[in-house]
Amino acid sequence: MNKKKKIGGLRRLFEISIVIIIGCICAITRSAAAAAAKDDQFLLLLGVSPQDEDYYKGLLSSPSSTIKCKDGSFKFSTSQLNDDFCDCPDASDEPGTSACPNGKFYCKNAGHIPFSLYSSRVNDGICDCCDGSDEYDGKVKCPNTCWEAGKVARERLKMKIATYQQGVTVRNRLVEQAKLAIAKEEAELSKLKNEEKILKGLVEQLQERKEQIEKAEEKERLQKEKEDKERKETEEANLKEKQNGEQVESSEADALKNDIHDKIGEQVESSEADALKNEMHDKIGLLGDSSSSQDVMEGHGDSESEAQHGEFDVKEESPIGDVKPLQEDSLLHATEKEEQLTVDGQPGLDTGNQAEVEEDNSESLSKEELGRLVASRWTGEKTEPQTQEVSSAKDKNHGTEEEDAYGEEYSGYDSEEDEHRYDNNDDGDNEDQMDDFGGEDHDDSSPSYKSESDDEPDLPAEPSWLEKIQKSVRRIFQAVTFFQTPVDKSEAARVRKEYDESSAKLSKLQSRISSLTHKLKHDFGREKEFYSFYGQCFENKQNKYVYKICPFKQASQVEGHSTTRLGSWEKFEDSYKVMQFLNGDKCWNGPDRSMKVKLRCGLNNEVTDVDEPSRCEYLALLSTPAVCVEEKLKELQDKLDMMNKEQPTSHDEL
Amino acid sequence: MKESPNLIFHVLFLLLLISPSVFSWKKDEFRNCNQTPFCKRARSRKPGACNLIATEVSISDDGDLIAKLITKTPENNESQDPPVEVDSKPLLLTISVYQDGILRLKIDEDQSLNPPKKRFEVPDVIVDEFLSKKLYLQRISEEKIDNDLGFSSVVYLDGDYEGVLRHDPFEVFVRERGNGKRVLSINSNGLFDFEQLREKKEGDDWEERFRSHTDTRPYGPQSISFDVSFFGADIVSGIPEHATSLALKPTSGPGVEDGFSEPYRLFNLDVFEYLHESPFGLYGSIPFMFSHGKARGSSGFFWLNAAEMQIDVFGTGWNAGQDKIMMPVDEKRIDTLWMSEAGVVDAFFFVGPRPKDVIRQYTSVTGRPAMPQLFATAYHQCRWNYRDEEDVFGVDSKFDEHDIPYDVLWLDIEHTDGKRYFTWDKVLFPNPEEMQNKLAAKGRHMVTIVDPHIKRDDNYYIHKEASDNGYYVKDASNRDFDGWCWPGSSSYVDVVNPDIRSWWADKFSYGNYVGSTPSLYIWNDMNEPSVFNGPEVTMPRDALHFGGTEHRELHNAYGYYFHMATSNGLVKRENGKDRPFVLSRAFFPGTQRYGAVWTGDNTAEWDHLRVSVPMLLTLGLTGISFSGADVGGFFGNPEPDLLVRWYQLGAYYPFFRAHAHQDTKRREPWLFGERNTQLIREAIHTRYMFLPYFYTLFREANVTGTPVIRPLWMEFPADEETFSNDEAFMVGNGLLVQGVYTERAKHVSVYLPGDQSWYDLRNGATYKGGKRHKFEALEDSVPAFQRAGTIIPRKDRFRRSSTQMDKDPYTLVIALNSSKEAEGELYIDDGKSFNFENGAYIHRHFKFSNGKLTSSNAAPSGAGGNKFSLDCTVERIILLGLSPAPKSALIEPANQKVGIEMGPLTIRPGKSPSFATIRKPNVRIADNWTIKIL
Repeated sequence: MNKKKKIGGLRRLFEISIVIIIGCICAITRSAAAAAAKDDQFLLLLGVSPQDEDYYKGLLSSPSSTIKCKDGSFKFSTSQLNDDFCDCPDASDEPGTSACPNGKFYCKNAGHIPFSLYSSRVNDGICDCCDGSDEYDGKVKCPNTCWEAGKVARERLKMKIATYQQGVTVRNRLVEQAKLAIAKEEAELSKLKNEEKILKGLVEQLQERKEQIEKAEEKERLQKEKEDKERKETEEANLKEKQNGEQVESSEADALKNDIHDKIGEQVESSEADALKNEMHDKIGLLGDSSSSQDVMEGHGDSESEAQHGEFDVKEESPIGDVKPLQEDSLLHATEKEEQLTVDGQPGLDTGNQAEVEEDNSESLSKEELGRLVASRWTGEKTEPQTQEVSSAKDKNHGTEEEDAYGEEYSGYDSEEDEHRYDNNDDGDNEDQMDDFGGEDHDDSSPSYKSESDDEPDLPAEPSWLEKIQKSVRRIFQAVTFFQTPVDKSEAARVRKEYDESSAKLSKLQSRISSLTHKLKHDFGREKEFYSFYGQCFENKQNKYVYKICPFKQASQVEGHSTTRLGSWEKFEDSYKVMQFLNGDKCWNGPDRSMKVKLRCGLNNEVTDVDEPSRCEYLALLSTPAVCVEEKLKELQDKLDMMNKEQPTSHDEL
Repeated sequence: MKESPNLIFHVLFLLLLISPSVFSWKKDEFRNCNQTPFCKRARSRKPGACNLIATEVSISDDGDLIAKLITKTPENNESQDPPVEVDSKPLLLTISVYQDGILRLKIDEDQSLNPPKKRFEVPDVIVDEFLSKKLYLQRISEEKIDNDLGFSSVVYLDGDYEGVLRHDPFEVFVRERGNGKRVLSINSNGLFDFEQLREKKEGDDWEERFRSHTDTRPYGPQSISFDVSFFGADIVSGIPEHATSLALKPTSGPGVEDGFSEPYRLFNLDVFEYLHESPFGLYGSIPFMFSHGKARGSSGFFWLNAAEMQIDVFGTGWNAGQDKIMMPVDEKRIDTLWMSEAGVVDAFFFVGPRPKDVIRQYTSVTGRPAMPQLFATAYHQCRWNYRDEEDVFGVDSKFDEHDIPYDVLWLDIEHTDGKRYFTWDKVLFPNPEEMQNKLAAKGRHMVTIVDPHIKRDDNYYIHKEASDNGYYVKDASNRDFDGWCWPGSSSYVDVVNPDIRSWWADKFSYGNYVGSTPSLYIWNDMNEPSVFNGPEVTMPRDALHFGGTEHRELHNAYGYYFHMATSNGLVKRENGKDRPFVLSRAFFPGTQRYGAVWTGDNTAEWDHLRVSVPMLLTLGLTGISFSGADVGGFFGNPEPDLLVRWYQLGAYYPFFRAHAHQDTKRREPWLFGERNTQLIREAIHTRYMFLPYFYTLFREANVTGTPVIRPLWMEFPADEETFSNDEAFMVGNGLLVQGVYTERAKHVSVYLPGDQSWYDLRNGATYKGGKRHKFEALEDSVPAFQRAGTIIPRKDRFRRSSTQMDKDPYTLVIALNSSKEAEGELYIDDGKSFNFENGAYIHRHFKFSNGKLTSSNAAPSGAGGNKFSLDCTVERIILLGLSPAPKSALIEPANQKVGIEMGPLTIRPGKSPSFATIRKPNVRIADNWTIKIL
């Protein structure tokens, strides 16, 4: 009942205030205004927030009392308070009018959230406060909409609180799991490092042994060769001629290859191109390695092959030879293309488009091409449709490049393919799966991957594998008599096999160590709440684009078969509320692409929106339980409590 | 993987090759004088080469002086030169005289001799009112001057001036009556040449080639060139648009600086990333030159001609050693050479003598600047592009969030459905009306872009109608000209035809322009016209317009007619009740009647900030008062320091708009940290604070032609120190503003002209006039000063936009001069309609003298039947230069006493010096009253 009265009173006072303020505008003398003001403190304190009421207390006793402006610059009296003239540069004398440019007007908004407006909104003819208190000069009628608006706001707040409540639980679980998983991985890492040390020793021993055997073999071979020399001389003459021919051919091809590589080196400085070049080299290397080692292993089993040692060179080269045609083919092909383009002029040049070229050739361009060309200067866009081809080709390549590069980094263990499988798996529990070394089927058909992943079960499946190796090495050393001639062929093969296997295992071990170290170096958040993001990707489809956000890795935009890199993982920002990806693909005539991902509390990991507010600067919203922090929940609850408190009990009277 | 790697290398390789040249001006794309035959020919002529003489001088029935120009028959044939191929037909010369000291000279072919074609005269530029001010000449007096063999014919021009036609050698000039001193003249150096149209004879190759383009030139050479001399001139200025100094540098003869060896070119072009110091022609052309000198004052010369023009300014002593000089050599003068590809001679001589007289005379011919709507004089926010409705609302609400006022949000080409103007992208802007209404509810407006190139798409109604009706410009073979612009293959509306302009204007009705509302206004870009695949990025010169006129004859006016048609469209849509707002990039004499212009695609560099001032001052001198440069620079990303300085200076541009290229980073005012946001907010607030003053100045321009921002010498014509000063400028007669043009500047040197002192706007400190002062470069504003002796009206309350300020009270700032006097004016109307033309406005005159401030009505009595009433009051009167401060004042006739207290010059947080302030006089701004200091 009390409250009701108060509200009625407020309304009455309010009406008075309108009259008086208008009175002020109409230049009623100051004393008259002061007299009127004396009637009611409420009027004086128009637009004052509850926190500030104390500051004005000194003015309420008598009309002649004065206080200093908050910034101390001037003094003002009761009659100057809210008299629609700015006496204090900091606006402290005009909380309820628009007279001071820097002021704030407090609207109570009973039933909704109280709000401080810029004084520039007071009596400007636009209703800003839901209680309408900012428009009191009678020019507009502002209905009180606080109850309705407040109801909606409260509902929304309640829902948000509910989300946070659940979210906090999920987050706590995430934090627990992350801690366990990290501890496990750290333990594993130290174990692996231990094993690495032992295995390294073994491999070194084996290598030594292997070299001894090879030395002996070499000796034998030379001996044998000498014996065979005369016998073979006649036959060889024919054979050599043939081989020479082949070698010339292949050396020409080599030269060409080098040539192209040099060219690339000269022309391309961008890191993309470098990466690509490296990748090509690596590919050659991988293919070569794998097949040559296979060859060597086969060779061991076959003592006959020793006899044909003269052909060994040829054979050794053959794996590379296998690769080369492929490689050369594509390069040659491309070179041809390049030449063609240069010769043809138009389409090729147009693809590259722009300035210099145009200067020389615009005479020969068609009118339409010229138009596109000039337009492109302003837009910075490449001229369609050639451009589209180019950019998609470029994008395509990025895709493969990344995957390859990434694959290498983690080769053998949790290869990227494993991670990709979790892409849509948003349960946040997959950290356990990271421990699973079980060799999975890979989507990738690259031979280098296959061979390695096929090996995998050996390593992790049996915990005693190290002991096994140790045992067999010991056996070797026990069985072998040093400097035995002729070399025991089966023994030599065993040593080689043992060496190859062990060093392969060592390299896998090392790569696992490095991948683990790399992973654990990341900043997973204050409480490691983002640990589960590792290896995950979140997607969002917007029209024709699919945006793919892979925390700790990269963000990209996929359109059909082409991928544009929007940035590589940089860091968390703004106390873990934003993820930043930088240095994406270059924007023509613009900055490198980049992406910010704002994190919002939500029950699932979900990209809710992607935007490009500035050219090539992307902004995404990701809802995730990882940011549902308890403090914020409390804050929200307090806010709701306050709204409920302010809520008039009998709103229907308003 | 198969074919991609090499393709990538290929592309990367090309990109590498290209990148250094991406950000440079494509000089080779444009013709220089040597590649332009008419320019090359004219420039190589020697002084005295003209062999024309005036004969048969008489007064016509129309009250004009008429004469024939014929080739002088070589009497003593001593010249070894082979007989020059002569344009032997006589030319017709007409001199007309108009009120206010304006002499008009026309020279054309004699139509009675059946030339192959009527040469083009630019229609719709000269206002009808001017024609009615013609004086009918009564008599011609003959006299001999300078020991001439022949006579000179002298006509009355003005009480103080006479027009003279010298017969042999042929020369036309204006001189002071009495002392006979020349003011300005044509052909004093004998460089006049007029190539008459001929029938093409066998073997004549009239084609011109430039790069891949061929100009068929079916009418052959038809250029005109002549020299113009400005006597008693220390500087010449004008002939925009060039990105260069206000006082034009010489382009020929001694003292030519690097980069200025080409004539000033007037040829409307869409120049990509223009240079900041160059005589090269940009988006608009006004062949009007302004001269000023300490000795005599100002004069002006205007050649109404829309073909390509090239103008040389000769350095002093350029013709030393030439023996054929006809003029008195002791005169201090500046000689210039004017060359045009086609058209006729239709030239106007303006005698001044004060700078404001010249601008009044010029705008009496081409029209006074239109009165803009109030909102258009406030701050505009633009970007290529505000992407969608959400973006629009986001930007709009951010302004509110940061308490930064703005009045207009702009949408560039991407808002359309595939660059089809008058349409909306349905995905990005599904509810354009709702969007505009939402902004309009806050008193804000929107602007959309409408360009003259029309997408050639049969499903596009504009194209359908235009092609069905034959409304497009034709190519040389009389098919619709097809060029390339934003939409791809495009045609161009032939707005030279008044009927087509009328059709175009109808497209802006709410019914035709679906999605438009009354709060939507228009932006005309690319109207040079820009044709991406055309010669010099524009339309071929042999393209054909209405009436068989070749594009070469009217090129520079095309954008003007387009602007005119659009502006008329906005008038039409509201039945003449709402003032139009149309921004145009191309311009021509008369553009001032149709809207605002801006300086096109500038760059985010300090040099471009610097050159914006002379560019805008030049526009103002040539009638276009409502102009601005893109704040922040269109291309590139400004450093925060540059952006802030640009806002601080841009706040005083007559047209104040921020704009940016789509490839630039977002740069709305709040994106550069709290401090910079605050600085930009303050800069924008400054503009809003001075809106009443600006609006008053726009009205002054509307009535007299005097530009809103002015060179210092316009206000201080006798102060030589100001003649070459184009880094500071006057806003009206009361404010002097100096930009800060260097990064992290520590100090700024400012020259304050005149013998009265100046009050620093930042703190009210006084500085002596007639001196250069060194100021600390404060970060919170550029140096700006109020001139002693002026009264400036302000509104110190801030709102979301100018719309909400209409009822807010005024502040008057009275800056007293040494005799404790000051004057000022205030103009107010409804800010929107044309009712002011019928007297619906308030025009106050404030005068402070003898310790009394008087407000009186400055509107002419009986100025139309409409009345405009307003309840606004004056809330504060600040008195600068009054000490010791009195205690109170008496308002009359109310006989009411008000207190005088000490208050700051502008209200901003923190301590600042305070000045005598009359607190709440609350007198109505519309009333007559007096406030007496007690």
